[in-house]
Amino acid sequence: MTMAKPGRSVEKRHRSRHFPIGLGRGAAGAMIFGIPMLMTMELWHLGFYIGRSRLLLLLLVNIPLLVLLAHRIGFEQTFTWREAFRDAMIAYAIAIVISTVVLFLLGNITAEVPFSEVIGKVAVQAVPASIGALLGRSQLGSHRNDDEEQEDKAEKKGDHDIVPNEMSTSYGRELFLMGVGALFLSLNVAPTEEIILISYKMTPLHALGLILLSIAIMHGFVYAVAFKGSHELSEETPWWHAFFRFTFPGYMVAVLISIYVLWTFQRLEDAAPTQMLMSVIVLSFPGAIGAAAARLIL
Amino acid sequence: MTITAKNRHTEAHEPHWVEWVTGIVSALIVFLMIAWIAKEAWMEDGAPPEFSIEVTGRGAAADGYRVEFDIANRATTTAAAVVVRGEIVDGGEVAEDAEVTFDYVPAESKSSGALLFSQDPGAREVRIRTIGYIDP
Repeated sequence: MTMAKPGRSVEKRHRSRHFPIGLGRGAAGAMIFGIPMLMTMELWHLGFYIGRSRLLLLLLVNIPLLVLLAHRIGFEQTFTWREAFRDAMIAYAIAIVISTVVLFLLGNITAEVPFSEVIGKVAVQAVPASIGALLGRSQLGSHRNDDEEQEDKAEKKGDHDIVPNEMSTSYGRELFLMGVGALFLSLNVAPTEEIILISYKMTPLHALGLILLSIAIMHGFVYAVAFKGSHELSEETPWWHAFFRFTFPGYMVAVLISIYVLWTFQRLEDAAPTQMLMSVIVLSFPGAIGAAAARLIL
Repeated sequence: MTITAKNRHTEAHEPHWVEWVTGIVSALIVFLMIAWIAKEAWMEDGAPPEFSIEVTGRGAAADGYRVEFDIANRATTTAAAVVVRGEIVDGGEVAEDAEVTFDYVPAESKSSGALLFSQDPGAREVRIRTIGYIDP
């Protein structure tokens, strides 16, 4: 999905050649992100037991999420909402096709399987796969020629200086990205039996440890261990500023996403509040990692 | 607000007040959660699961008779593979029995299920009890 500036004749050729490549990258992304789920038994079963209204809600929630994500990771400032919507829909469609094909090849979709179950299976799988497809199209494609990029930027700077070399990410957007990361990892593990089993095996003391570890990892990932794309604090900002402004809200986002995902997969039914909280804490652990990773990657 | 420049992100020094409000509310919720779990850790007694079963409905099924019930675990310990057996008792003799296994009956929670008999118990007594479980 490499798009240069409009109004060039080279540009058109560039785009027409890049569209199939973009689709290929999307498919690759959907595979990379979708395969772990496509090969998980619990997810096949979800196809028939997931409540249809909750499934519908998940599918609908996924649309604005993809559009926002497409808009966020879209290229340059020329990227419009319309293009974001188009990209989101393409990613969703790629995900549906890939999920269907893979499930079919795995012998999971046969003539004997009722149609409603097939739809259910594909729909559940398509959500994380669509996030993968979108990321595949942008992330796998974004490492285009660095020189070219520098040139582009220099050129633009020279032009009018309308595209600053700095971009401010609004706070809400930062939280949104964390939500996407958390949702993705949560969707991957939430349907498995293990989440419930782990929460039953854990004692409250284990849970306390897990909360602290999740928060520490979130903070460490983003600020301390300085990965590429890490966030830095300016010299005069005390460390606890970021802790309150980003890490705690980020963990809260992971917790809320966990609750939503567990509810969607009917994992919270009939359980006592403490049991629910334990499952939420267990799922927030991968969620927190996903949220932190999203801040770095996206 | 975060400033992104060439893949480095620097958090703004003068954040919007919304960021602080969100941060403090989140911190409060996290602390509440920790407090709740800490309370649970304090109260935990390690007592074995205690089940109680309550029949919630009965009626004809496709090929027999269905007795629905709730099983509750009052203890703070979760039980796995809980086997529930139901018997139709006819004058001290067991006329028919049926069995069902619950994967989990979580601590202080309720699960529900049903036993299927081939005959209508009618006025006869239906006895339902748990006969075993494992620790998860």
